[in-house]
Amino acid sequence: MTSTRNSRPTRRSVLRGFLGGAAVSVGLPLFDALLNDNGTAYAAGAPLPLRFGTWFWGLGHTPGRGIEALSGRDYRFIAECAALEPFRARYINYFSGFNTLLDGAASRVHYTGWVAAKCGTVPVKFSGMPAPTLDTFVADQLGRGTRFKSLELSSTGNPKDSLSYGAAGSHNAAEVSPLKFYQRIFGSGFRDPASGPFEPDARTLLRQSVLSAVTEDRKDLERVLGAADRARLDQYFTSVRELEKQLEISAAAPPSMESCRLPATPPDGAPTLAIEEVQAAHDALARILVLALACDQTRVFNLLYSQAASEIRARGTTFTHHILSHEEPMDVNLGYKVQTAWFNEQSFAALARFLTMLGEVREGDGTLLDHLLILAQTDTSDSKTHSVIGIPSLTIGRAGGRVRAGMNVAGNGGPISRVGLTVMQAMGVPVSEWGTRSLRTAEPLAEIMA
Amino acid sequence: MPASTARRLAMLVAAAAFCIAACAPKEPQVRGNRPQLRLLTEDQYRNIIQDVFGPQIAIGGALDPILREEDLVAVSAGRATVSASGFEKFATLGEGIARQVVDPANRDLLIPCRPRRADARDDACAAETLGRVGKLLYRRPLSGAELQRAVETAGAGAARVGDFFEGLTYGLSLLLVSPHFLFIADSLRDEVSPPALTGYAKAARLSFFLWNTTPDEALIDAATRGELDDRSGLEREAERLLKSPRLVNGVRALFSDMLQFEKFVGLSKDTEIYPAFDPQVAQDAREQLLRTITWHLLDQDEDYRRLFDTRVTFMSSALGRIYRVPVEDTVGWSRYEFPAGDMRAGIQTLAGFVALHSHPGRSSPTIRGRAVRELLLCQKVPDPPANTDFSKFNEPAATNLPARDRLKVHSTDATCAGCHRLTDPIGFALENFDGAGQPRTRDQGAAIDASGALDGTEFTDVRGLSGALSEHPSIPACLVQRVTSYALAGTGESFDMPWANYLAEVFRRDGYRLRPLLASIVGSPNFYAVELPVVQTAAAEESHR
Amino acid sequence: MKHRAVALPGSKQSAAYVVIVACALMLAACAPAPKAPAKLAFVVEAWRTAVYQTEYMEECPDGIAIGNDEIWFDSLSPAEKDKWTTGGTQQVLDLPRRPQSYLRGPQQEDVCWSPTAVVDPPMRVVRGRYSYGMNLDGTTDGSPTPKSCAHGKFTDPDGKVAVDNQLYRLMGCVYGYRDKGYLEHHANRERQDESQGIILIDVDGVDDARNDPAVQVRFFLSATPLYFDTAGHIVPFSTYETVRGRFGDTVKGRIVEGVLETDPADVTLPVYGNDAAADMVFRDFRIRMEIAQDGTRAKGLWAGYQTVESFWDYIQKVQHNVPVGQYSCPAMYVAAHDLADGYPDPKTGECTALSSAFEFEAAAAFIKLPSGSPSDEERLAKQLTMAGR
Repeated sequence: MTSTRNSRPTRRSVLRGFLGGAAVSVGLPLFDALLNDNGTAYAAGAPLPLRFGTWFWGLGHTPGRGIEALSGRDYRFIAECAALEPFRARYINYFSGFNTLLDGAASRVHYTGWVAAKCGTVPVKFSGMPAPTLDTFVADQLGRGTRFKSLELSSTGNPKDSLSYGAAGSHNAAEVSPLKFYQRIFGSGFRDPASGPFEPDARTLLRQSVLSAVTEDRKDLERVLGAADRARLDQYFTSVRELEKQLEISAAAPPSMESCRLPATPPDGAPTLAIEEVQAAHDALARILVLALACDQTRVFNLLYSQAASEIRARGTTFTHHILSHEEPMDVNLGYKVQTAWFNEQSFAALARFLTMLGEVREGDGTLLDHLLILAQTDTSDSKTHSVIGIPSLTIGRAGGRVRAGMNVAGNGGPISRVGLTVMQAMGVPVSEWGTRSLRTAEPLAEIMA
Repeated sequence: MPASTARRLAMLVAAAAFCIAACAPKEPQVRGNRPQLRLLTEDQYRNIIQDVFGPQIAIGGALDPILREEDLVAVSAGRATVSASGFEKFATLGEGIARQVVDPANRDLLIPCRPRRADARDDACAAETLGRVGKLLYRRPLSGAELQRAVETAGAGAARVGDFFEGLTYGLSLLLVSPHFLFIADSLRDEVSPPALTGYAKAARLSFFLWNTTPDEALIDAATRGELDDRSGLEREAERLLKSPRLVNGVRALFSDMLQFEKFVGLSKDTEIYPAFDPQVAQDAREQLLRTITWHLLDQDEDYRRLFDTRVTFMSSALGRIYRVPVEDTVGWSRYEFPAGDMRAGIQTLAGFVALHSHPGRSSPTIRGRAVRELLLCQKVPDPPANTDFSKFNEPAATNLPARDRLKVHSTDATCAGCHRLTDPIGFALENFDGAGQPRTRDQGAAIDASGALDGTEFTDVRGLSGALSEHPSIPACLVQRVTSYALAGTGESFDMPWANYLAEVFRRDGYRLRPLLASIVGSPNFYAVELPVVQTAAAEESHR
Repeated sequence: MKHRAVALPGSKQSAAYVVIVACALMLAACAPAPKAPAKLAFVVEAWRTAVYQTEYMEECPDGIAIGNDEIWFDSLSPAEKDKWTTGGTQQVLDLPRRPQSYLRGPQQEDVCWSPTAVVDPPMRVVRGRYSYGMNLDGTTDGSPTPKSCAHGKFTDPDGKVAVDNQLYRLMGCVYGYRDKGYLEHHANRERQDESQGIILIDVDGVDDARNDPAVQVRFFLSATPLYFDTAGHIVPFSTYETVRGRFGDTVKGRIVEGVLETDPADVTLPVYGNDAAADMVFRDFRIRMEIAQDGTRAKGLWAGYQTVESFWDYIQKVQHNVPVGQYSCPAMYVAAHDLADGYPDPKTGECTALSSAFEFEAAAAFIKLPSGSPSDEERLAKQLTMAGR
C-alpha cells in the first residue's frame, strides 16, 4: 500500500495497512481525520466515561483447575481461580477453547501466545512487533480527551515488562514505582476538582508553547529518511502532540467526578521479583490507578501482574514460578503441581483484589466495574508444555452495558483473535475484521455483545 | 658489487615489494548504510548533559529503555521510537535540567551573558545563550529559523512571567526535547554525488563511537570549517579523540552493549540464599567488569584474548565479600590479582558474568553456557522448541541434586541434546561459582565436578575453560564483528562481511589489540559511507501487489 | 616407589638405612611444598555479659536488685512523695526528674560518681548454682591462691566445669542485664548502628583451619563501618581496617576440631555502648570460639579477671542507665569490691579483679593490619577523639 503526502486514503485502507502488520507512514493530519473527536466535554450530565484495560499474568493456570463448566454457558471458578467467583455472575466472561493458529510458524515459547492474542498476528521474527497491540487502538478511540491517553504499569519492577506496542514498533514502557506513578498522576499536573475555584496556570501554557515550537522542526529532518524512519518520526511527533493534549487538559478546569479523591502517598521503590514485593507493588499501583480512573485522568490502562514466563519467586527458594512450572514433579495424590498451583492462585488473588478496589468506586448507579471492560490475558494454557492451544482469557466488567457477562464462551478451536476483535468492537473501535492469515477474523463473539 | 648481482638484487627487492603490496590484505569498500536516525540512549543522554552543562546538574529520573532487538542496542537505537510516556520523560527531565541551568548557583558558569533587566525579555542574551547551548546539543550551529524559534519561546515566556531566567528555561526546554537533539541524524551534503555525510554527521559518528557523547566544540567547529570533508582533517580529529582519556567512555559503552549490561538493572538475588548480594554488589560487579576490560585493553594495551585468562581485576569492599578476598581499599577500588592457580581467570569467571547469568537463587550452567556462546563467541543458540517434553523432570528427588546431575536429561534426550550440548559443557565448568558469583567447592553436599568441553577442547576444571576460550578463534572474530556493527550501528544486512574479515585480519596482525582496531575503523572511509535507499515508484509497487 | 638395594661392605642394616633415607628424600621431593600459613579473622557481631537465667529467677531468691529510683523514692518525705505521685501511681521517670534520683548525696553528689557518699541497702546478688564461664583459678572450691581470693564457685550448666564468675554473681540479678532487660541489648544495637567499639579477632599462623596446635590470636578495634544484609546480620568476609595505637594484644592458642582456645594472658578490649566508651582490662584472659564448618561464622565465650577499676569506669560512664537498668551505684560499688576474686593488692590483700565471662557471636572477616603511614596515624587519632576516649 502506498501512502504519499497528497493522496488521502480511506479510513479502511489505512487501518488495513496499520492492522495488516506492515509499518506504514501515516501523516498526522490523516490520523486526526480518521477518528472521531468525542469525549472531550465534561459538562454536568455528560455520560459516564467508558474505560478499557488489559491485565496480564504469566503462565496461565493448571488445566482443569480454573473453571468448572456447568450446563450451557454457565460455569464457576474453582481451585486456582476461586478468588474470582464473587465477581463472576455479574462481571466475568471466561473464554476457553480459542486457539493460536500458527500456520506452520514456529511457536516461540512464552511469546507467540500473547503476541498472537494481542496483535492478531503470529510473529515470525522474534524482534519487533508484527503489529500494534489492540489496546493502542482502543486508546486511540477512548483516550483522546483525557490527560493521559493510556497508562502502562508493571508489578515486576522492570519498565520493559509492558506488552503495549504502538505504531512503528513503539513500546509503551511501564511505570514500576508506585511513588513515581503517584507523582506523575497526582503531582503538579493534577487539577484536584475538590480544591476550589480553578485558576489556569500560565506556566502550563508556556510549556505548551514549547511543544508547539517543537513540531515546527519536522520538515528539516524528513528530507532523506526512508519510510520506516519517517514512521518513527511520526510516532515521535504523535508523542509530542500527546503531551500537548495532556497539558491542554491540565490547563482546563478538571472534570467533576463523583468518586475522585487524592490517594495517600505510597512508598517509594520498585520491587524485586520476590512475590511479596510484586504483590505489594501490584496493589499499590492498582490503588493509584483506580483513583486515576475515578478522576478521569485516563480511560485506558495496561496492568501487568507477572510477565510471560513469570519469574516471580518465593523468598528463600531457588525456583521461580517459571522453573516450577516445568520442573516441579506432579503430586501423585493430588494430580497437579502444588507449588506451581500456589503461584497461579496468587495471580488470581491479585486480580480479585484489583477488582475489589474497582468495585469500591461508586459512579452513578453502579461502580467503576460497571463502566469498564478489562481484558485479562496470559501467554500459555498448559505452562509445562508451552501449549498455545486454548489459552484462557477473561473479560471483566459491563462496559456501561455494552457487554453481557457471566458466560463461559467456548471457542471450539476457533482463532483467539475473535476475542480481541470482540473487545475492540465493544469499545467502539471501528474495525470489522482483524488479524492475519488463519487468525484473520470478521466474526465477533455476539453472545457477549449486548 | 658486480652489475648483474646488483640487478638481481634490485629485482629481488622489487619483487618483494610487489609481493608485500599484493599479498597484504587490501581494505574492501563497504556499500554503505542508509542514513540513520538514531535515538539517544540513556547513557548518551546523561553524558551529553554532563558534558554540556557540567556534573553538578542532576538528572532526576530515568528514560524509557531502548529495547534490544538485534545483537546490539546501538543497532536497535536506529529503529527505536519515542512513545508518549517516553516523550513525557524527555520533557520532564528537560525542564528539570533547564531550571537547574538558570539557577543562581549555576548561571554564572553556564550562561555567558546577563540580561539588561532580570524581569523582562532580552533577546540578545537569549540568542547568545541558546545559540551556544543549541550548537552543542544539536551537534551543529542552529539555523536562523531554529534560533529564532528558541529565542521567541524564551522571550514570550520571560514577558509572560516577568523573569528573564525563567523565560530562558522554556527556550532551553525546547532545545532539549527537539528531535534534532534526541535523534542523531545522518545528514547528507547538498549537491554531492555519490552521497556523503556532512561534516557534522561525521563528527557525530566519530564522537559517539569513541566517546559515547556529543561532539565537543572543537570537533563541531572543525566540521563548520569544512575540515572534516577531507581525509586529513578527519584523520587529525580521529587521532585526537583516540588519544584522549575520554576514549575509556566509548570503550565502556561498547562492552556494556556487547555484554548486555542493561541486564544489571534490576538484577536481584534471593536475600535469604545470597544475603551478601545486594544492589551495591550488582553495581560493583558491572563496574568491575568494565574496569578490568578497560585496564587490559586501554591502559595496558594488551591482546584482547588475555581478557579470558587474566587474573588481574579490581575489587571494591562489596565485591570483597562476594569473592571472599581482602581488599586493599575499603572505600574505593583497588587492583587485585588472584594467585596463580586460582579458579578465577578471565572475565567469564567474574561475578558480573556468572552472577548476571544465573537464577536469583541458584546458578545455571545452561544460561551461562549460552551467554558464552552468544556474547563472547557470537554463536546463536536456538530457542527451546515449544513442544519440549518436560515429563523427564517428574522425579521429586531431582531438585536436590547438583546441577550436573539435575541437567543430565539435557544431554541424554535427543530433542534437548542438540542445543544443550552447545551450552551445558561450558556452564558446568563455571559451577564453582554459585548464583551470586561466590566461590564454592560443593553443591548440594557433593564435590563439584567442573570438567567440560568447548568445541573439541576438553578440560577438567574452570582454568581449562579459560585456556580454551582465550585460544578459540571465534573470540577475536566476534569482537571485530560486534565493534564494527556498533560503529556503523548496522547489522549484517547493510554491513559488509568482507570489511569485517579484513578488520579481523588487521586485528590479528596488530596482536589483537583494541586501539589499533579502533584506529583502523575510524581511519577508513567505510566508517562514513552512506548510500541512499532505493525509492520505489507507485507503479512499481502496484505491479508488486 | 623403587629402591635400589645398595650393597655396602659389611652391613645389611646400613643398606636398609640408606634405602630408607633414599625413600624419605624422594618422598620429600615429591611431597607438595608446605602451604604458607594462612589467617583466619573474625569480626564480633554481638557480645554480652553471660548471664545464666531460669524462668522463675531461682538464682535471685531475694528478687531483682533494688533500683536507684526505688531507694530515692523511699527516702522522700510523704509530702515530697505526693509531689511525684499522680492518682496513686508514681510518675514516669522522665528527663527533668531523672537526675534528681541520683543526685542524692548529702551535698547533692551524683552517687554513681561518688558511690561512697551514701550507704544503700546491700545489693541483691546471685545465689544460684549455675553459671557460664571458665575455671580461672584452677581450684574446684574457690579457696585462695596466690592470684585469687576465697569466693564461691559455680558449675557450668553441663555440670562439668567449676566456674569462676563473680561478675555474674554481681550483675545477674540486675534487671537490665537479664534477657528482658535493655542495657546489653541496647549496647549491641549502638555498636552495630554506629560501627563503634567493634572487636576484631585475628588468628595467624593457621596451617589447618580445623586443627592446628599453634596459632597466634590478636584483638583489634575496627576502624571500618559494618555492612549488613537485609536480615540485619553482618555480611561475612568484609575487610576491616584497625584503629592503631591501642589494643592489639597477642595471645597463643590452638584449634581442635574447629574450636579455638587460647592460653591465659593480659588482654584489653574496647567496650562501647549506652553512649559510653571504655576499656575492659582483663588478666588471665582466655577465649573459646567454635568456628562453623563452612568458616563463615563463629561463636563462643571469653573469660578472665576484669579489673574492678575498668569495670567501674564503664559503670560510672553509663550512669544515665541507672534508672533503666535498675541498680544502685553505691550498692554495686560495695558489692563489686567485696566480690572481687582476682589479683589481690599486695598492700591491702583485697582482690582487684572480678572473674567474668562474656558470650559472643562473630562473622568471618579480613583484617587489614596497620601499615604505618603518618597520615593514617593522624586520621585515626581523630577517630579516637571522636569516640570519646
